[in-house]
Amino acid sequence: MDRTAIAQRRTEVLVTEHQTKLARYLRRMVGDAEVALDLTQDVFLSAYRTLQADPARELRVGWLYRAATNAAISFMRRRKILHVLPLDRDLDRSAWRVDEHSAESVDLQAALARLPVEQTAALLMTSYAGYSSSEAAQILGISADAVRQRVCRAMKTLRHVMNEESIS
Amino acid sequence: MNTLNCTAAEILAGAIALGEAGDEQRHAYREHLSTCRRCLTQIGGEREIERVINLVAQVRDQESWQPDVRRALARVPGRRRAWRWGAGLAAAAAFVVAILATQRQAPVVVHGVAAPDLKAVAYLGTQAVPQRESRAESLAFTGAQTARTTITFQVKLDKRSKPMRCTVIKHSGPAKLDMALCNAVMRAR
Repeated sequence: MDRTAIAQRRTEVLVTEHQTKLARYLRRMVGDAEVALDLTQDVFLSAYRTLQADPARELRVGWLYRAATNAAISFMRRRKILHVLPLDRDLDRSAWRVDEHSAESVDLQAALARLPVEQTAALLMTSYAGYSSSEAAQILGISADAVRQRVCRAMKTLRHVMNEESIS
Repeated sequence: MNTLNCTAAEILAGAIALGEAGDEQRHAYREHLSTCRRCLTQIGGEREIERVINLVAQVRDQESWQPDVRRALARVPGRRRAWRWGAGLAAAAAFVVAILATQRQAPVVVHGVAAPDLKAVAYLGTQAVPQRESRAESLAFTGAQTARTTITFQVKLDKRSKPMRCTVIKHSGPAKLDMALCNAVMRAR
């Protein structure tokens, strides 16, 4: 079997196993389903190219999340510079509104938009994607304590936004 | 005696949030809170931490979006478009030329702008807006390898020539493409 066939077969497996979770993670990172889908495709294409170059390489799910996080961070930084993407896409924001009928209701997507990207990544990698702080640390290339601290700081902001919302 | 500083307390709070803190750590955090009003106000107690983190978990559990990356990948000729700066700028330039040309009432065909590149235009935004009110535009996009599609749209401008409303009169087929075009036009404010 040639390199391309091996890479295709292995990428297929990665896509089948991880596409949904990865795309959902990215959607929460960037706040836009369409962009998330694009970034997810980019991640899998990047995996395909990596496997094509080195078919023996072991690509684990952590690699996918690292690539996804980097893609999301660079997208968000670019978006910050350009200010062109609308931040008011009702479709995604409504999906983030938890328990709409209770006093606890909060627009988490709007709250996440106020976090630094590094904190968003740490929070989503752990509490959303389900990684432990040590696993997230390996993926993000920081220490486990730094992950915990970022999660805490992200929570501070979320709490602040929730309090603001409940007051208003 | 409380020996924790606020940075260490933040790390403990993160551990509590992620369910990684043992009894000893939880106790140390409680002790810190009893003497640190700032952490108590900003982070809150264990219950508060769990309440906030549970909201994220709740969203995750309610998630129903089922994206099909494989299908999207298969749709893209040549594997994948790149909305890199170069391609984006090239597409934006083609778009500007197209808009300017339509002002002379001529039918416009933009060759070599694949549909995905239109999205690059949307990301980059463009200042090219027709300087008249309520005029219809028609653009034909020809992909490098495959489909060709035409979108006819109408833009309503205010007194300062800012786009007020974009209406797609003739759809191209993929709704995303129509939306991307209108989004690009509406962003040109």
